[in-house]
Amino acid sequence: MLKFILKKLALMIPRLLVISLAVFVGLRSTGIDPITFMVPPEVISQQPEMVDQLREDLGLNDPIIMQYFRWLGNILHGDLGLTNKGESISGIIATRLPYTLELSLYAMLFSSIIGIGIGIISAIRQNGFVDYLGRVLAVLGQAVPQFLVGILLIWIFSIKLGIFPSGNRVSPDATNAFMDAFMHLFLPVLTLTIGMVAVLMRYARNTMLDVLNSDYIKTARSKGIPEWKVYLKHGFRNAMKPVLVILMFRIPALIGGSVVIESVFSYPGIGTAMTNAVTNMDYNLVLVITLIIAAVMLICSFMVDVFNALLDPRVRLGE
Amino acid sequence: MDSKDIILDVKNLNTTFISDRKKIRIVKNVSFQLKRGSALAVVGESGCGKSVTMNSIMRFLGRNAIIEADKIQYNALRDGKVTEYRLEQIDKPHGPEMRALRGPEMSMVFQDPMSSLNPVYKVGDQVAEGLLQHNKGMTKAQAREKVLEMFRKLGIPDPEERIDCYPHQFSGGMKQRVVIAIAMICNPELIICDEPTTALDVTIQAQIMELLKEMQTKDGKSIILITHNMGLVAEMADEVCVMYMGRVVEFGSLEDVFDRTSHPYTQALLRSVPVLGLADGQKLETIPGATPNPADLKGGCEFADRCPFATDACREKDIPMFQLSPGHRVRCLKYKDYPVAEGGEAQAEVAEVQ
Amino acid sequence: MSETKTLSIKEQNKSAASSLLKKNIRKFLRNKLAVFGLLVIVIMTVACVAAMIMGIDYSTPNPTIMKAAPDAAHLFGTDTIGRDLLARVLYGGCYSIFIGVFCAVLSSVLGAVLGAIAGYFGGKTDMVIVRISEIFQAFPQLVLVMMLVAILKQRSMGNMLFVFVITGWMTTFRMVRNEFMSLKGETYVKVCEAFGMSKMNVMFKQILPNVMTPIIVSTTTNVAYFILQEASLSFIGLGVADSTPTWGNILNAAKSIQVVQDVWWLWVFPGLAISLFVLAINFFGDGLRDVLDAKQQ
Repeated sequence: MLKFILKKLALMIPRLLVISLAVFVGLRSTGIDPITFMVPPEVISQQPEMVDQLREDLGLNDPIIMQYFRWLGNILHGDLGLTNKGESISGIIATRLPYTLELSLYAMLFSSIIGIGIGIISAIRQNGFVDYLGRVLAVLGQAVPQFLVGILLIWIFSIKLGIFPSGNRVSPDATNAFMDAFMHLFLPVLTLTIGMVAVLMRYARNTMLDVLNSDYIKTARSKGIPEWKVYLKHGFRNAMKPVLVILMFRIPALIGGSVVIESVFSYPGIGTAMTNAVTNMDYNLVLVITLIIAAVMLICSFMVDVFNALLDPRVRLGE
Repeated sequence: MDSKDIILDVKNLNTTFISDRKKIRIVKNVSFQLKRGSALAVVGESGCGKSVTMNSIMRFLGRNAIIEADKIQYNALRDGKVTEYRLEQIDKPHGPEMRALRGPEMSMVFQDPMSSLNPVYKVGDQVAEGLLQHNKGMTKAQAREKVLEMFRKLGIPDPEERIDCYPHQFSGGMKQRVVIAIAMICNPELIICDEPTTALDVTIQAQIMELLKEMQTKDGKSIILITHNMGLVAEMADEVCVMYMGRVVEFGSLEDVFDRTSHPYTQALLRSVPVLGLADGQKLETIPGATPNPADLKGGCEFADRCPFATDACREKDIPMFQLSPGHRVRCLKYKDYPVAEGGEAQAEVAEVQ
Repeated sequence: MSETKTLSIKEQNKSAASSLLKKNIRKFLRNKLAVFGLLVIVIMTVACVAAMIMGIDYSTPNPTIMKAAPDAAHLFGTDTIGRDLLARVLYGGCYSIFIGVFCAVLSSVLGAVLGAIAGYFGGKTDMVIVRISEIFQAFPQLVLVMMLVAILKQRSMGNMLFVFVITGWMTTFRMVRNEFMSLKGETYVKVCEAFGMSKMNVMFKQILPNVMTPIIVSTTTNVAYFILQEASLSFIGLGVADSTPTWGNILNAAKSIQVVQDVWWLWVFPGLAISLFVLAINFFGDGLRDVLDAKQQ
C-alpha cells in the first residue's frame, strides 16, 4: 500500500514540471515586454540604453529555457516573484489562498453530505418526495448559471432581508471572528453548494440504484439481515467508491465555480486575484496561480487513486 | 399427507408485474407440494417463470410485483412439532417475519456466483453475517469456527487462509461453494437452488450437484432445484414440476415424468436433450416456434401454437389439471377423460392488461 | 393466396427506415418536456435572428433615459448608458446562441476526429494524444480559458471561439476514443481492412456512423454548456468586449451591488433568457437521447 502511494506521488512531480514549463513558455510568448510594467513610458523612450541595460541585468534577453530554470529555482527557494505593481506574490498568495480554501472546503463538505444524502435516499425511496424534489432541484440547478444564483441570493438575503453581508470576507468592525466568518461565508458557500448538489445528487442516485440492483444485495437479504444493514453495509459501502470518485472529479468545476463566485461576492480569494491578474496582464501572478491550481488538481487525482485502492480490495490486492 | 410430510405447500400462486401502467401476469395459478427430505426439480425454458415463482415464495421481488396466493405454507419441524407459517399473509417482504425464516428455515443458492458475493468484504465475514444475525449470543470467534467447519464440509481447501480472502480471489466453483456456505450456515430445512451450476464448468457442475445431493440424502434437507438441464433432473430429482409460460403443465415423480411422459411440452423437452450416439443424419430435435411474449397471450393453453396435438378446444378456455395417477397430474386436454385433480380446476382469468 | 408485391430490397429498407423515423418522431412528441424544450429553442432563436435582421437599435446610448425601469417604450427597460435592454437581450441572444452552437459543433468535430485517430491507430499516436488531453483536463476549464485569454491578449469574438473549442474537445474525444477502441476489433472492420479499404474510409465511413448517436446528444448538451461558460467568462469581465452584446456581458453590469439593487431588470431579463434557453436545451437533449438510444437497442 505504501509503495502504491509513493509511486503515485512520484508521478505527480514530473507532471507538475511539464505543466509549469508549458504555462511559462505560453505566457512569455505573448510578446509583452515586462519592462513596460516596471519602468514609466517616458523613461523607456528617453533612456533606451538604460532600459536595455536593465533588460540585460534582469536576464530578459536570455533564452526562454534559461529564464524558466531561473524562475523555477526562485520558486523552489520560496521566492514567488513580484506582480506588475511590484507587490510580493507570496504575500498575495499567503493572504488569499486560505480564504479560497475555506470557501471551497466548506462547499465540498456541505455539498457532499447533502448531495450524496439526497441521492441515496432518492435511490432507496424511488419516486418519493425526496426523489421528486431532488429531480426538480437538479434540473433547475443545471440550467441557472451559478453566478446568477449568487446574485439572486444576494438580492434576497442581503438586499431585501438584510441578513447577510453582500460581499467581502472581513468586516472592519467585527467583534466575533467566528460569527464574522460565518456571515461572510454563508451566501458564497451556499451558492457553490447548490451548484454541486445538483450534479452530485443525480450521480449518487444512479450509482446507488446500480448497486441496489446487484445480485449480492439479494444474497444479503437472503441472510435475513435487517433492511438498514442491507442498505448501509452492502449498498452504500459499494456505492462509496464510485461516488467519491465522482466527487473528486467535480473539484475542477468547484474551483472554476469559485473563481466566478468570488467575483460575485467580491470575495478576497485566489479567484479574484486571478481575474484581476488576467485583466491587468500580470503574467507572473497568472503563472503562479495557475500552477497552484494545477498542483491542487494533481493532488485530487492522487486522492482518487488512493480512495480507489482503499475502498476496493480488487484494486488493492490486484485481480 | 399432513404437514409433517409436506414442508412447502403452494396453492394457486399468482405473480403480476406492473410496468408502465400495464399489468402482466408472469406466474399463473402455480400449485405444488414439496415433500420433506425430497428433491423437487422445477424445469422449463428460460423465461417460463421458474425463478419468479421461487422469488415470490422467498419475497425477493421488488415493489412492482404483486404476489397473490391461496396458500404459501411452510411447515417447520422442530423437535417433532410442526409450526405452520402462512407466507402469503405476511405483508412486508423484508419485515421481521420473513427475515426470521430466511437463513434458519429457508435459503436460496443463486445462479451467478461472480455477482452474488459482495466484492468488498471477506468471504468469512459474509458467511458469518447470517449466522450472527440469527444467533444473537454467539461471539465472532465462535462464528468463525462454524464457518471453518462449513468450509471443510463443502470441500474448500485451506479454509483457515481462505476465510480471510476476498471473493475475487476465488475461482467460480469455489465462489459457488461460498454461496452454498452462506445458504447452509444457519442449517435451514428448505434450500432453493436457482440454476446453481449454469454459470460453471461442466466438471465443477458435477461436484456442486454432488454436494447438493449429499445435503439431501445425508442431512435430510428438502431441495428445490430450478434448472433447464434435463440431465441434472435425472440425477437429482425425486419429483419433477414442468412449467411453461408461468403455469405448471405436468407434475409427478421422476419415473412418472420421464417414463410416462404425458404433456406434449414435456415430451418435446425430453426429446430435445442432445444424446451421445445420435445416428448419422439424425437431426437434433427442437420445439418448433418460439416462446411467446407473456403480454401477447390470449386465452386457452399457452402451448397450443407449438403443440402437434392442439385442437380448437385447446384455445378456448383455460385447461384444468387432470390426475393421471396418485402424484402424477397433467394440464392437457388429451387427458380430459381423467378426473380433474384436486384444486386443479381452471381458474377464472384475471384481466391481463389494464 | 393473397397477392404479394415484390419490392426491391432497397425499397424495403427505405420504407422500414422511414417508418422507424416516424415511430421515433412520435415517441419524441410524446415527451412533453422535450417538445417544450424544442419549442422554446425555436421561438427564442427565431426572435433573436429576426431582431438582428430587422436591425433593431441596440447600441445607441441615450443619457436621458439611463437605467430606466421597464415601460411601454422599453419593455425590458434600459441599461446603464441608456441602451434599450430588450434589443440588447435579443441581439445578445444571437451572439450567445451562435457561440454555443459554433463551439459545441466544432469541439465535437475536433474531439471526434482526435478520438477516431487515437482509438483506431492506438499505440504511440494514442498515447501522445491522450497525454495532451490529460494535461488539458488537469485544469478547470474556466481557468484554462482564462489563461488562454491572458496569452491571446485581444478579447475578440474569434479568439474566444478559438479558446472555447481548444478547451472543450476532451469529453467528446474520450467518448469517441472508447467506442473506436472497442469497435475496431469488430469483424466487419477487419473485413473492410482485408479488402484494402483506406484507413480514412474505415474510420469515417464504417466506424464513425455507429458513434453518431452519443456524439449528437453530447453536442446538443454542449451548446448549453458553452452558453453558460461564455456567460461566466463575460460576467467576470474577460469575455467579448461590451460593444458586441452577449447575454453574459450584459450581466457584467450586475457585478456592482448598486445595479443588483436598483436596476433589477438589467440582470433579471438576461438571466431569465439564459436559464430558460439552457433549460430548454437540456430537456430537448434528454428527449433526443431517449429516442436515439432506444433505436440503438
